[in-house]
Amino acid sequence: MERAVPLAVPLGQTEVFQALQRLHMTIFSQSVSPCGKFLAAGNNYGQIAIFSLSSALSSEAKEEILHFSLAHDGPVYSMVSTDRHLLSAGDGEVKAWLWAEMLKKGCKELWRRQPPYRTSLEVPEINALLLVPKENSLILAGGDCQLHTMDLETGTFTRVLRGHTDYIHCLALRERSPEVLSGGEDGAVRLWDLRTAKEVQTIEVYKHEECSRPHNGRWIGCLATDSDWMVCGGGPALTLWHLRSSTPTTIFPIRAPQKHVTFYQDLILSAGQGRCVNQWQLSGELKAQVPGSSPGLLSLSLNQQPAAPECKVLTAAGNSCRVDVFTNLGYRAFSLSF
Amino acid sequence: MSSESSKKRKPKVIRSDGAPAEGKRNRSDTEQCLSPLAMILRPPQLCGTEGKYYSEEAEVDLRDPGRDYELYKYTCQELQRLMAEIQDLKSRGGKDVAIEIEERRIQSCVHFMTLKKLNRLAHIRLKKGRDQTHEAKQKVDAYHLQLQNLLYEVMHLQKEITKCLEFKSKHEEIDLVSLEEFYKEAPPDISKAEVTMGDPHQQTLARLDWELEQRKRLAEKYRECLSNKEKILKEIEVKKEYLSSLQPRLNSIMQASLPVQEYLFMPFDQAHKQYETARHLPPPLYVLFVQATAYGQACDKTLSVAIEGSVDEAKALFKPPEDSQDDESDSDAEEEQTTKRRRPTLGVQLDDKRKEMLKRHPLSVMLDLKCKDDSVLHLTFYYLMNLNIMTVKAKVTTAMELITPISAGDLLSPDSVLSCLYPGDHGKKTPNPANQYQFDKVGILTLSDYVLELGHPYLWVQKLGGLHFPKEQPQQTVIADHSLSASHMETTMKLLKTRVQSRLALHKQFASLEHGIVPVTSDCQYLFPAKVVSRLVKWVTVAHEDYMELHFTKDIVDAGLAGDTNLYYMALIERGTAKLQAAVVLNPGYSSIPPVFQLCLNWKGEKTNSNDDNIRAMEGEVNVCYKELCGPWPSHQLLTNQLQRLCVLLDVYLETESHDDSVEGPKEFPQEKMCLRLFRGPSRMKPFKYNHPQGFFSHR
Repeated sequence: MERAVPLAVPLGQTEVFQALQRLHMTIFSQSVSPCGKFLAAGNNYGQIAIFSLSSALSSEAKEEILHFSLAHDGPVYSMVSTDRHLLSAGDGEVKAWLWAEMLKKGCKELWRRQPPYRTSLEVPEINALLLVPKENSLILAGGDCQLHTMDLETGTFTRVLRGHTDYIHCLALRERSPEVLSGGEDGAVRLWDLRTAKEVQTIEVYKHEECSRPHNGRWIGCLATDSDWMVCGGGPALTLWHLRSSTPTTIFPIRAPQKHVTFYQDLILSAGQGRCVNQWQLSGELKAQVPGSSPGLLSLSLNQQPAAPECKVLTAAGNSCRVDVFTNLGYRAFSLSF
Repeated sequence: MSSESSKKRKPKVIRSDGAPAEGKRNRSDTEQCLSPLAMILRPPQLCGTEGKYYSEEAEVDLRDPGRDYELYKYTCQELQRLMAEIQDLKSRGGKDVAIEIEERRIQSCVHFMTLKKLNRLAHIRLKKGRDQTHEAKQKVDAYHLQLQNLLYEVMHLQKEITKCLEFKSKHEEIDLVSLEEFYKEAPPDISKAEVTMGDPHQQTLARLDWELEQRKRLAEKYRECLSNKEKILKEIEVKKEYLSSLQPRLNSIMQASLPVQEYLFMPFDQAHKQYETARHLPPPLYVLFVQATAYGQACDKTLSVAIEGSVDEAKALFKPPEDSQDDESDSDAEEEQTTKRRRPTLGVQLDDKRKEMLKRHPLSVMLDLKCKDDSVLHLTFYYLMNLNIMTVKAKVTTAMELITPISAGDLLSPDSVLSCLYPGDHGKKTPNPANQYQFDKVGILTLSDYVLELGHPYLWVQKLGGLHFPKEQPQQTVIADHSLSASHMETTMKLLKTRVQSRLALHKQFASLEHGIVPVTSDCQYLFPAKVVSRLVKWVTVAHEDYMELHFTKDIVDAGLAGDTNLYYMALIERGTAKLQAAVVLNPGYSSIPPVFQLCLNWKGEKTNSNDDNIRAMEGEVNVCYKELCGPWPSHQLLTNQLQRLCVLLDVYLETESHDDSVEGPKEFPQEKMCLRLFRGPSRMKPFKYNHPQGFFSHR
């Protein structure tokens, strides 16, 4: 029969280009809106998409993408949300957007700031943003191996923390004492005191035999902290550290380098190369591995906004154009797609 | 006397009783102290002077029953007393006792008389009471009956009223003009506004009148129009007759002028002959011929048009269309009769039928499209009469003889050179939806088995022939349309030219690719650094099925980019121990649609886009950022530039790979490229972007 002949979908030039663009998309960053109902995701083309979690999770499961806009010239590596703004950064600049306006089309950025770089040939990227609520400031870190503190009230850069010898991958805040942890390509996790602007502690993870993996490199790709405990991973194995004694306590048995880690209740969630979101007991046992739809994951986001308890989900994104949504920790419910 | 006394004594006793006795005494006073007995015995009537007859019935009316009752009670008491006295006397005994007893007996008798009288009166009263009750009852019955009659009448009237209210008049179904319109348009003698404004009944009547009036007028108009139409039809008939008589006359004039033309060497001789032949073309080919000639004359001198085939056959085909049809139906009928008898020939018959169905018109149109480098694209257009579609056969001839590389086999083959000129137009399926039913009848599964012989029925071919097949209406009659053809002529001719040129360019490039040389033209040199160490070592075609089975091409297949109309190749790039396999999808729409690469690196384990972000980034560099690799228009260098870029990317990948300190000895690939930074960003990208004049590598 003529109609039984398998046919390719007729694709024109633009369709092919769009398909290729989607195929090579990487979603680097996510951030949940202060109302908890929307999720912003930034990709390697500098686009930021706003997904409506509430409508995607409602019984009708409506069209979940609200719109996306070209926000940056380069990739959007990091995003955080304050109670009114979405801050996004990537190509050396941090931009602020009003959440209330992001939900509409054609939104313009509220302001943009560039940290004072010691200029080189290329503009260093910003890999991590961190909000310090106590002093209403934002810490930026990335390609120029320094931590810049920006006062959110005035928009001025107040101090620079120097110490890393290679670029910085990640930041974490110790809630109780005003201390910031940073991990970088040089393989060191540095602990900074914000009051004195001094480095107080350095852990060179790759020098500990238990967790060093020279074939993967030294870089620290992710870290998270909870009171005296810190978990970090990357080139070296994913390891739980006791900060006061700076000793590794648990080494998690996973070979793939991890790109994101976070504490959740009495579990540690981590993701990296490979399709799965890993759930660990603090003792080092693998509690579960939940497969997602991307071949590699770069960021996890737990929506714990009290304003929207019905939207309490875990979202994971990485080397694909899809953001996986886990309604409970054990199972991928659906994917939001760019 | 004693009775008197006793009578006198009596009231005394009664008097002590109180009020009723008092009333009695009063009366007895007024009646001059008549004894109660006398009262009884002498009815009031009789007490009067004129009483002619005595009737107890009449007496009853005059007497008070209450007083009768008193009397009765009194009489009974008297009787009891007398009895008691008699008993007393008797028990005492004596002489004079008898007299006294006698006296008392007489008194008793009187009392008994009174009692009897009272009894009679009571009976009469009872009877009277009964009579009265009966009378009243009868009266009530009569009233009741009357009431019921009245109620029934009321009900009946109500029914009548509702019947009237529910009455439906026919005029309600008539769709009348609206009220305002009515008052505006109707003449005053119908509308009578002063009467009808207040009275809805009159108003409705008037509106109905107006409606009738209007309908009468319209009917009149209709009749007029009909007669008008008749008249015009007659006129047309007359004119037709005149025109048909004109034709033979004109023909004879033409015939007469032919010798004159020949004698004078008129210039339209040659063209006229072709036009003469063109008259025998089927409509779609004729449209194509006219439009192509027009386009060639006006816009493109490199296009030449010719008609091929036998005119006589076409003439023979054209003359008896009805006869042949009859024959067909006859033979059909015959066949039905004979099939049972001649079973073995069934297959042969089907074959004949198929041949008949796929029959081409004996005439065809040849288009020769000359490109800049003297290569020519020959297109032959055919018309399949029974399927009502057009097909095309293509052939490319080049100025010089080409050495055909193995991998370029499909590039210029007539089967694929024109594939997907427009997206999705692979020319293997009939564009006429009606054909499917015809195929089902004779058992043709798909037209694609016949395209090599018949030519490809591309959609653009149908459009050039002015054939339009809408998808929604499969049975629609198909008309050859000049405007459709004209609107597609220019774009299609341009597309054809670019297609041939890009295929010829690829053809040349493949020859050197097979020898491991990636040809980079001088105007694209700036895209790459001077020193590229990685080398292309292999360039081969692969089958579509083999491509689908490769483990690292799943994403492309899933994205629907690996259709069977594409061409598939496999490239192998080597540097030292590292081998990079690249599976290439070449869309027939190259170079406007870029080739798609999927990579698999064999070096310290197998690395693909799923386990190495940098391999993924390398694919993105060639697939997504292809626009900077296009080179000068019409970007025929795209494929070779992409391959060369892959070599550069592999160099960068290998040279920037972090050195494992634990392994002794020097690095296999020392870093020769100038890089600003080795890694950047959360996914640790390598510096793949080449900056031309400075010659260093940076991150995108």
